[in-house]
Amino acid sequence: MSSLPKEGNRGKVKMEGIEGDASVGGAGRYTLNPTRINSEDILFCVDVDSESLVEMKTAGVNRLDAIKQAILLFVNSKLSINPDHRFAFATLSKSAYWHRKEFSSDVESTIAAVRALSATTVSSGQADLTNLFRLAAHEAKKSRSQNRILRVILIYCRSSIRPHHQWPVNQKLFTLDVMYLHDKPGPDNCPQAVYDALVDALEHVSEYEGYIHESGHGLPRTLFRFMSMLLCHPQQRCSQDDCDIPKPLMKKSAEPANGEDNVHVSTSR
Amino acid sequence: MSFDGFPPFISAQLHYLVNHFPERIKVEQVLSGGKTYAGGLDRFTLLIPYCLDYIKWDIIYNAEFPLAPPDVIFGPEDEDFHPLHMTGSVGEGDLKFQNILSDWNHKDPTRLLALIQELRDRYVAYQKKRVGEVDDDRLKFEISTICSREGIEMQISSGAEKPEEVKFAVPLMDMNINKMVHGCPWRHPQKIYLQVIYPVGKKYASTPSPPRLKLMSTTELRALFSIEDVKLPSWLDGMCMAEYLPHLEESLQKQVVEAVSLIDIRRRFIESLAPLFGRPLEADPVFCRKATFLASSGSFVFLVHLLISTQFPKQQPALMLQSSQHISPQGIPKKSPLLSEYPWSPRWETSQMAERIFDFLADESLNFKRFCSESQPQH
Repeated sequence: MSSLPKEGNRGKVKMEGIEGDASVGGAGRYTLNPTRINSEDILFCVDVDSESLVEMKTAGVNRLDAIKQAILLFVNSKLSINPDHRFAFATLSKSAYWHRKEFSSDVESTIAAVRALSATTVSSGQADLTNLFRLAAHEAKKSRSQNRILRVILIYCRSSIRPHHQWPVNQKLFTLDVMYLHDKPGPDNCPQAVYDALVDALEHVSEYEGYIHESGHGLPRTLFRFMSMLLCHPQQRCSQDDCDIPKPLMKKSAEPANGEDNVHVSTSR
Repeated sequence: MSFDGFPPFISAQLHYLVNHFPERIKVEQVLSGGKTYAGGLDRFTLLIPYCLDYIKWDIIYNAEFPLAPPDVIFGPEDEDFHPLHMTGSVGEGDLKFQNILSDWNHKDPTRLLALIQELRDRYVAYQKKRVGEVDDDRLKFEISTICSREGIEMQISSGAEKPEEVKFAVPLMDMNINKMVHGCPWRHPQKIYLQVIYPVGKKYASTPSPPRLKLMSTTELRALFSIEDVKLPSWLDGMCMAEYLPHLEESLQKQVVEAVSLIDIRRRFIESLAPLFGRPLEADPVFCRKATFLASSGSFVFLVHLLISTQFPKQQPALMLQSSQHISPQGIPKKSPLLSEYPWSPRWETSQMAERIFDFLADESLNFKRFCSESQPQH
């Protein structure tokens, strides 16, 4: 297990099993301001490069399988918070392409679109995010005209290929979140450099505070946990360094948790 | 709503009508009048809000003769409604109406709205006249005392089985409720109405029976204030609307002001949960009626939904847990039932309310975790 320290304000990534400071979250008290928030149009961009076929720690489950499950869980959770949020899908290989272009809150069609995601068997070689940003900027204008905001959730799987992009400095029309799954750092890869490039992209293009999470452990449960943290509405977020969720629901009088991890996570197909 | 199948000029007018009519108008029974359907759809029924209900008018264009204005067919009870020949309305109104029809420009998308608006205004006048003609002294008296109020609509309803009744829709309170709510998202002004239904009096009845009273409101108001919770003041014998309405309005005004002040009570409550539950994933920032948090119990991560009624803190919030990790093959997430029975007192400090909910959920989440693990099919 290793951490990926990073200069700048993204801070140290939490290693699994160590709880962050559970006392006070956020810089200062949380206030709920009476400012309207918009329903979201969320564009998932899933990396379908051959590295998305790398096996997770759970036998028979590869990264793309876990990602599909994570997306379905996310969509369900998001709709239970507000049934007006909508979703669309794109894939990333060498560049980004539409997978399901229409934004919709319909669960059935989302399940179908997610199931249809498939990976390339040969490595894409490079990852250019420019087209993704172009698609997103275009959609963001439409979303705005419908009183919505656009968010891109990029799920990236490559341990040595740093994504690149060309984008004007002041165009921040959508929020960008990133979930990065990678191999453990070693002499033949550079997940830290990839992570840094993803952070740069996020800070460059994101309208509201974007969040980035990474995991090299290969546990689907960790992926699901991080995806849940991306449920935060962009217009009500604090800076990522101040993020204090999920909080453990434990009575002060109770015994400390003894690491019972008998939560069986479903992997329905 | 899309209007596919209509010739463009009709579609444009219908779109404009639906988007600009002051209240929500509905369209149904869309048909084609032509034998061959070649011209497209050209007739439909409009449901126009009137007197807290709807009136149905059939609108008949002729796709083959687009230059002519549509015919309008009114409901069967309104055989006597002849808007073109209404006596008593002189001057500009009549001229305007004649012009709408004679200068019909089918390419102007605002035309249908203008026509319907004008017809509806005349319908209001027609109903007023009909009600005025009813031979009932009490009714005549009532009308005379309230007709100075703006916006009252009335309607006679009678049928073979039913006795004749007169229904009034009285808009209440001049308050601009929208302005009272910070960050108000309502596109239309919210209004509260009193519906008053009088049976038309039989001559020999000694004491007139009290009218049936019902409060109604525009739907969006529910986020702030529930009219079901309002207890109507009683209608005393011999009362008339002119006496009843001011009482009611004064009481309602107080309740609306109180409802607005309760928004911030709910807001402070949601904020008081953050130290224990963390920052919410999403919370309703304008009416503060709901919030969702992300919590954990060991490695089990789940959502906590809070639904806060307009009766808070008298009524405790309803809670629901939802797994972020379990989903059935049909794509249905695992949720707890709505939990609304737990120790509660409206007199607690908000911080104590938060602590008690936290403790309750700490226990409940163990049950829920077990439920999620157990009902999962073994793979």
